[in-house]
Amino acid sequence: MIRQIKILTKAQLCNFLNINIFRYTKDKKKKRNVVSVGTGWLMLIAMLCFYVGAFSYGYHKIGMGQVIPMYLIMISGILILFFGIFKAGSVIFQQNFYEILCSLPVSQTAIVISRFLSMYLGNVILSLAVMLPGIAVYGCFYHPGIGFYIVGILGTLFIPLLPMTVATLFGALITGISARMKHKSLVATTLSLLLVIGIMVFSQMLPGVEKTITEEMLANFSEVLSNMIAKIYPPALWLGNAMTEGNILQGILYFGVSIVVFAVMVVLVAGHFHSICQSLFSTSAKHNYRMKAMKTDTALMALYRKEVKRYFASTIYTVNTIIGPIMMVLLAMGILITGVDKIESALPLQGGITGLVPFVLAATACIMTTTATSVSMEGKQWWILQSLPVEPKTVFDSKILLNLTIIAPFYVVAEGLIIVALKPALPDLLWLLLLPIVFILFACVFGITVNLHLPVLQWDNEVTIVKQSASAMIGGLGGCLVIILCAVPVVFVTGLAEEIVKLVIAVIIIGITIVLYKKNAKMDLAKIE
Amino acid sequence: MLTIQNLTKHYKGSHKGITNLTLEIEAGDIYGFIGHNGAGKTTTIKCIAGIHGFDEGEIWIDGLSVKTDPFACKQRLAYIPDNPDLYEYMTGIQYLNFIADIFRVSAAEREARIQKYADAFDITASLGDLISSYSHGMKQKLAIISALVHKPKLLILDEPFVGLDPKASVALKEIMHQICEDGGAIFFSTHVLDVAEKLCNKVAIIKDGKLIASGDMDKMVTEGTTLESIFMEVVRDDKTD
Repeated sequence: MIRQIKILTKAQLCNFLNINIFRYTKDKKKKRNVVSVGTGWLMLIAMLCFYVGAFSYGYHKIGMGQVIPMYLIMISGILILFFGIFKAGSVIFQQNFYEILCSLPVSQTAIVISRFLSMYLGNVILSLAVMLPGIAVYGCFYHPGIGFYIVGILGTLFIPLLPMTVATLFGALITGISARMKHKSLVATTLSLLLVIGIMVFSQMLPGVEKTITEEMLANFSEVLSNMIAKIYPPALWLGNAMTEGNILQGILYFGVSIVVFAVMVVLVAGHFHSICQSLFSTSAKHNYRMKAMKTDTALMALYRKEVKRYFASTIYTVNTIIGPIMMVLLAMGILITGVDKIESALPLQGGITGLVPFVLAATACIMTTTATSVSMEGKQWWILQSLPVEPKTVFDSKILLNLTIIAPFYVVAEGLIIVALKPALPDLLWLLLLPIVFILFACVFGITVNLHLPVLQWDNEVTIVKQSASAMIGGLGGCLVIILCAVPVVFVTGLAEEIVKLVIAVIIIGITIVLYKKNAKMDLAKIE
Repeated sequence: MLTIQNLTKHYKGSHKGITNLTLEIEAGDIYGFIGHNGAGKTTTIKCIAGIHGFDEGEIWIDGLSVKTDPFACKQRLAYIPDNPDLYEYMTGIQYLNFIADIFRVSAAEREARIQKYADAFDITASLGDLISSYSHGMKQKLAIISALVHKPKLLILDEPFVGLDPKASVALKEIMHQICEDGGAIFFSTHVLDVAEKLCNKVAIIKDGKLIASGDMDKMVTEGTTLESIFMEVVRDDKTD
């Protein structure tokens, strides 16, 4: 079985990481694409390492160095759980090669473990990126024995097991429930979103710092934080204590629980693997259609309707891109519930928060635009649009329209809540309404532009496009980054200067959007391969 | 109807492609395009359909250049690929309606044509089902109907008979004849030489991206020979040259 797992994992990784494209393609553009994705990931990992290092040093400086390991273990676990829920189901139960694998003499357990391992390798890199800088900082300032490093590094390798198990079980549960429903994708999307929002709301409901900390406690903040971690994620405390205090019992508890829970999950999923896959991949067909009167539509509307169907047919695409607009509403709700005064006292900005809110709303809504991966999502069906008598502009307009349709209702609700919360004067109200529109339009057009230059049309799993493609990273997050950068000058000015800065930013962004839009419209679809 | 002149297309970093291909397909022609795997059939077809750009040469459809007037060219042709990757998240009827909207086919015309061809291919009852539930053959049938829904003048087909059941193959052949009788033209690739011999009035043989023989079927296939024997002969001759 180990040989089977090895072969299957190797094949999966070749597919996920585009290793064979890099090694064997003679197309320089495709090779460049793989290199740019790899470089992008390396940069993200380097940034994460730097951030964690600085953060750990900060903790040491305020005298809380003792909690660094357990805090970082908890952060790694939460990150892996959060991102895992989105993709665990579609990776473990991916349809591609399922029938081929079933026809081969390969055990279900080997298939499940290999799919789990391919996810594990990505997650272990994440936990190493979070843990190693923390271990280094702790090592520098607290001079622990060799046991700290051994347990730390071994423990880091085990960090992904528990959160991935939980994510996989949630993913399997969502997949299993939705597989029995008529509208599988819609049900899976709704369940995934409810789960993610549930986690967000639950984390807000946990005993917060403000409620639990008294002045006495401030004197011993490390202990307070340890207690919080013990409540939220006990395994972090077990491994943390095993590392810093050499607590062998807690170490055994951590490794034992990780291994046992993982093993139980593998047995459970492997046992039901075929039945879940079969109910998931089987499609019902009624064979009872009778011709009815048909309606005509414009090419743009036909394409737009196609985009809407495409969007809601993919759980991972929907969940990944709708989470931003949902967060925009949650943020507005948070501001309304917390109250502007409280936020402004916590964030002493020169001109209050009103000036920054439009930027924050827009950046949240544009965390991941649908347009950034909309061309790649066409995949093997791209030939249809290439061969049809339709202008590129119409194709891209339909994709932008979809993105705007998704954001629009959330924008209206968020704006309503924010207006009630801030009670802005007329100029602020105008900026509050207009600036997000300007940025959202920019992010949509920017997303298309990036995807047109970094398209990936040959893929087997949507996860590789939505989560791992260069276009998703640059096009999706890039728009959000530009908005954040635009907000920086607003922090430093007030009054008339603030109005002028905002006006200049809006004009520049509108100008860039128009230029990109016009350039995109001239693209030759035949050249996008 | 379709003129291909000195068409050259090579893929980046690959020796594959087509070199200096020249062909003339006239109204009323059913033109077969044969060659071994990787000879350049699909590349040629994709260049005609506007899916691939090309390095040199020209393609004219009904007197219009594919390079300078792609929109008008695409209005006149219909293309069916060798592998019918359709929008799996749509039902059959939604897909046909989508294609008809793009080609601006009136409601009455699309209804009549869809009814006619869906009945001919025995697929009417399945049109309300998601394409993801279709078999390969059903997808192929749907792709063919979608190609016919706007009554194209030129039909470009890549291996159109693969996956079709015998009844559907007969139906497609009848439709191909009908299009040609109405003044249209068909250019299709196939590996099934028997079908090409019986169906086509003209044929072209391509090898390693170069045209090695073309002409009227009745002049190429004389008594005592078959298209298969001719094909094997010209391919062999070309190798010894």
